[in-house]
Amino acid sequence: MSEKFKVTLDELFTYNVAKTIKDSTLVFHGVSSPIPMVAMYFAKLTHAKDMVYVGGVTSAIDPNPPFFPTTTNDWTMMQGRTAMITIDKLFDMAQKGELHRSFFSGAQVDKFGNQNVTMIGRPDKIKIKLPGGAGGCNLSGDCINYTIWTTRHRAPAKGDKRIYTLVDKCDFVTNVGHVTPFGTREQLRLVGKGPDWLVTELGVFDFDPESKILRLRYLYPDITVDDVLVNTQFKPVIHPEVRIMDMPTKEQVELMRKIDPLNVRKNEFPPKELERQFFI
Amino acid sequence: MGIYTSRNKLITLEAAASIIKDGDKVAIGGGLCLREPIAMLRELARQGKKNLHMCGTAHGFDIDFACGAGIVGAVEETHVSFEQDFGLANNYRRACESGQVKVRENCCNSIIQQFRAAAYGLPFMPIMSAKGSEETLLHPEFKHIICPFTGNDLILVPALIPDVAIVHAQKADIHGNLRIEQPYVADILMIRAAKNIIVTAEEIIPEEEMIKLGPNVPYYEVAHVVHAPWGAHPTSCYPYYAYDREHISHYYKITQEGAEAFKTKYMDKYVFGVKTMDEYIEKIGGSERQKRLASWKNGREAWMELYNYE
Repeated sequence: MSEKFKVTLDELFTYNVAKTIKDSTLVFHGVSSPIPMVAMYFAKLTHAKDMVYVGGVTSAIDPNPPFFPTTTNDWTMMQGRTAMITIDKLFDMAQKGELHRSFFSGAQVDKFGNQNVTMIGRPDKIKIKLPGGAGGCNLSGDCINYTIWTTRHRAPAKGDKRIYTLVDKCDFVTNVGHVTPFGTREQLRLVGKGPDWLVTELGVFDFDPESKILRLRYLYPDITVDDVLVNTQFKPVIHPEVRIMDMPTKEQVELMRKIDPLNVRKNEFPPKELERQFFI
Repeated sequence: MGIYTSRNKLITLEAAASIIKDGDKVAIGGGLCLREPIAMLRELARQGKKNLHMCGTAHGFDIDFACGAGIVGAVEETHVSFEQDFGLANNYRRACESGQVKVRENCCNSIIQQFRAAAYGLPFMPIMSAKGSEETLLHPEFKHIICPFTGNDLILVPALIPDVAIVHAQKADIHGNLRIEQPYVADILMIRAAKNIIVTAEEIIPEEEMIKLGPNVPYYEVAHVVHAPWGAHPTSCYPYYAYDREHISHYYKITQEGAEAFKTKYMDKYVFGVKTMDEYIEKIGGSERQKRLASWKNGREAWMELYNYE
């Protein structure tokens, strides 16, 4: 037996995001997206070699960045590219139903997969102004499917309350999930089919086909179903075969470390979470 | 929009800024931390502009700075942050939360289509998305219609015609021909959409040289040209200089201290305390800093080092 190999939370998380990408699809990441950037490149170098990588606002096609920078709009993201497009063309493709996958996040994600990237509070009384959805409000409607990710599922206690990211209802809906404040996707006749995966630092969810509510599918090895329930404001559907997630291979983890030497993927996590490690 | 034929469009930064009036709708070029016209924003702050209505796509340093400088009345950008590097834009946040700045947050394709409508000479463009999102509540001017051809529910977004677009280009000639290097973000579109176009440029090159290079914006689309080397700093303007992470980190820490600290520690030092670009360069670390920011060309290790530097 060889010695056990250490995998850190950020690596396992990014691997989970990469696994939501299928080969021979057109995939785009937006702003503030270090994990999707790394996950897309990782997927292209492993299981999705014919994926079309459209890189953010820079909009280079299939870049081979020397490293991932701490911003998504930089000349590093043009190195080794094939073509360049402009960002308006990406939105045209999405509207035509040609964007297969993108990635969105939010300070709040509700049970139907709507996300809030705009504000805590309401327009007449803003408590916290969040950065804004960039292209998410349009693309969450148009792209065929998308992956939601959040590294802040764990709900810290504040007095006798908890501050949840996975909420029953968002303060404000920026990006649209399956049932929006204005109706279902079918009623609204949106182009895309909506989110199909949510990756958090506690587990991986899909959506219950009937109720369209988030459904727990996979757990990290150090997390239980109860941990997920305690940190989630609504009651998610629990898949009857919920289990511990598959682990990447040593070679896959080494590849991820090699392509992301600045560890930008780690920037998204609270420091405490980065102490979590797993062995394969 | 408009056809500008003057043979010599070169004016000073001060003269260009004085064209912009309080309350103007201003489109800002570049995006996030790349090629934003920061020298012009500093000059607008020195001239004490008020209530500017900023519009564009996903931005960062520029809008946060302008909010901290107190020159903004409304923000229609789709995103304002320092991404995962530093996080929430503190000046922007404070201005939105206090009501000093009206939140008109837009979405990238919606505003691109609004610029397109203006550029195409049309009153509006239809879009398939934004339905279901509460961002539509921030835009009562958007209309819903049932498409007469397909029966689908469409959102119509009206033409957005900025009073002025400010774009920072790598190269310009005095006639107004431009070479903007990719990524263009929305710049080429907003130049066609706005009533008045001010371009600040790293380099002013002879027209013959520009013609050989091949301009990607024709001279007649540009109203004014300003020579502003280092005019995008601390955002990047490749190939001249990378993103100044050290300066942005310093800036960010000051913004965390609050609005008053920002005035005394940042505005007084880097904006009101400098009269010329040379003085600004000295304040940010002089030729040593310039050399370091140009060192991305020396290969992967040097480039990576710039992103490690705090």
